[in-house]
Amino acid sequence: MTSTEVDNKPLPIVRFVVGSSGGGNRWLLLALAFTFVFAGMAAIALTRPAQADVWTTFAIWLICSASATLVMKLCLPGHDPLLLAIPLFLSGWGLAAIERLAPAFADRQAIWLIISIVAMLAVACLPHLLRWLRRYRYSLLAAALLLLFATIALGRNPSGLEFAPRLWLSIGSIYFQPSELMKVILVAFMATYLAEQSATHRAGQSGAGAGFPATPRLLGPILLMWLLSMVILVWQRDLGTAMLFFIVFLLLLYFTSGDRRILIAGVTLILLAGIAAYQLFPVVQLRVDIWLNPWPEADGRAYQIVQSLMAFASGGIFGAGVGQGFPEYVPVVHSDFVFAAIAEEWGLLGVIGILSCLGVLAWRGLAIAMTHPGAAFHKLLAVAITMTLLAQALMIMAGVLKLLPLTGVTLPFVSYGGSSLLACHVMIGLLLRLSAGAR
Amino acid sequence: MNIETTIFILRLLAGLSLAGFLLTLFSVIWRNLNQLERSAAPASSEHGYLIREGANQTSGAERWALRPIVTLGRAGSNAIVVNDDFASAEHARILLEREKWWLEDRQSRNGTRLNDDQIKRRTILADGDVIGIGSYRYRIHIHP
Repeated sequence: MTSTEVDNKPLPIVRFVVGSSGGGNRWLLLALAFTFVFAGMAAIALTRPAQADVWTTFAIWLICSASATLVMKLCLPGHDPLLLAIPLFLSGWGLAAIERLAPAFADRQAIWLIISIVAMLAVACLPHLLRWLRRYRYSLLAAALLLLFATIALGRNPSGLEFAPRLWLSIGSIYFQPSELMKVILVAFMATYLAEQSATHRAGQSGAGAGFPATPRLLGPILLMWLLSMVILVWQRDLGTAMLFFIVFLLLLYFTSGDRRILIAGVTLILLAGIAAYQLFPVVQLRVDIWLNPWPEADGRAYQIVQSLMAFASGGIFGAGVGQGFPEYVPVVHSDFVFAAIAEEWGLLGVIGILSCLGVLAWRGLAIAMTHPGAAFHKLLAVAITMTLLAQALMIMAGVLKLLPLTGVTLPFVSYGGSSLLACHVMIGLLLRLSAGAR
Repeated sequence: MNIETTIFILRLLAGLSLAGFLLTLFSVIWRNLNQLERSAAPASSEHGYLIREGANQTSGAERWALRPIVTLGRAGSNAIVVNDDFASAEHARILLEREKWWLEDRQSRNGTRLNDDQIKRRTILADGDVIGIGSYRYRIHIHP
């Protein structure tokens, strides 16, 4: 038997446990998430009696989670229950953290959770959605770019400050961050584009060789994406989103081609852009300077990151306990720095919990791509979504811990931020659909 | 019950449920992996074997395990090397597809015979069939 013939052998497909035991797991996971979020909410209610509507938020979360689990079980019985349980658990944890840190925002976040869960169920259960995504990809891309330019022209910042980055669009009092929506659309677009390219490429090649060379056809889109990231960076000062787009695209391109030169070229481009941005933009300069050494300016520009490190230190292994630490010392702790607050009040165990959840999520996402018998588009979409969530989580967690320069992205599912919550849930909806086998 | 005790109990509850959640995640993954291994196992175990007719039966070289793909031909890269002047380099192959075993001629010059009939297209194999290439004959034994 020659080696190519061994490779042709179809991989055994992981059948996610659906029968009685799978159903049991689904509800067991939900019950454990329930007790965890309940304990957090109850502790907040006890330590801060002034906050009356902890239980409203909790009830909203509970109804959303239970109905999502039930609807998914009925509509898409083949899906991976872990891919549903983890986001529900993390968003419950996030709601508890927001109730604790910024109670004024908790109601709004709970409403966004309802919208997100509905969107997730719609994406997971609507038939033909994947085909539509493929067919109308250029229209979607155009819509995304239109949104981006609309933000550049009409963008606002909810804080109303003069020099704050204007990343939001507002309708009345509702603020929406289009870059989050753009993230979902671009991820889908990249997956369709690369699926098409790899197919045409393979058709032109006689052997079954893995890599395909770096032709202009391949390099063109990389440079285009890089330019797009630069536009976001220059006009919007949105360092995190720009980095995220580029990293995900690079990883996806590497995944399709297996060509290591792509990684080298990509890292070189990122470094070049970084050096240029450091020279040109005070924001980038600030982020890098306080990353290299925050201590001389611990009371000034580096206050946030230093307080975040303090929060980690004072949390210890078991944490200070919900409502008993002082994470409020970190400015705007409820959005980008929620990980620091979790480290302080839930301790190292909480941090390990978040990391394990995200790790399992990433593993199950990639498992879809590995074992899915479907088209290249489905594999690439699963990889792209998983990589986006993972890269975003790693970027902000490393940023909060001062392992990397801080890039302002949200921690998926946990941080405050409606558009981000919605985008993450839509992506999970797509993953759930893919895990059930796309039809 | 005073407030400190309640909060302590709540913390204990939170810790236990967090640990329980993670343990459940890992146990689901563990069971899935076990299942995957079990579903992959039959493919590697013996489905049956092929034996050359008329050859010395005790010699090990004349008996081959039946695998999901078995190639036959004169080239040394084949699973079963047919040392016959009438065999092509890549002559035929046996495939497992849709839970059936198939014999396929790979456009060989002199054709492949199944129970002494020339095959024109892919044909399903049954236990005890004899595959003929040139002067060589192989009997297939398929385990149920």
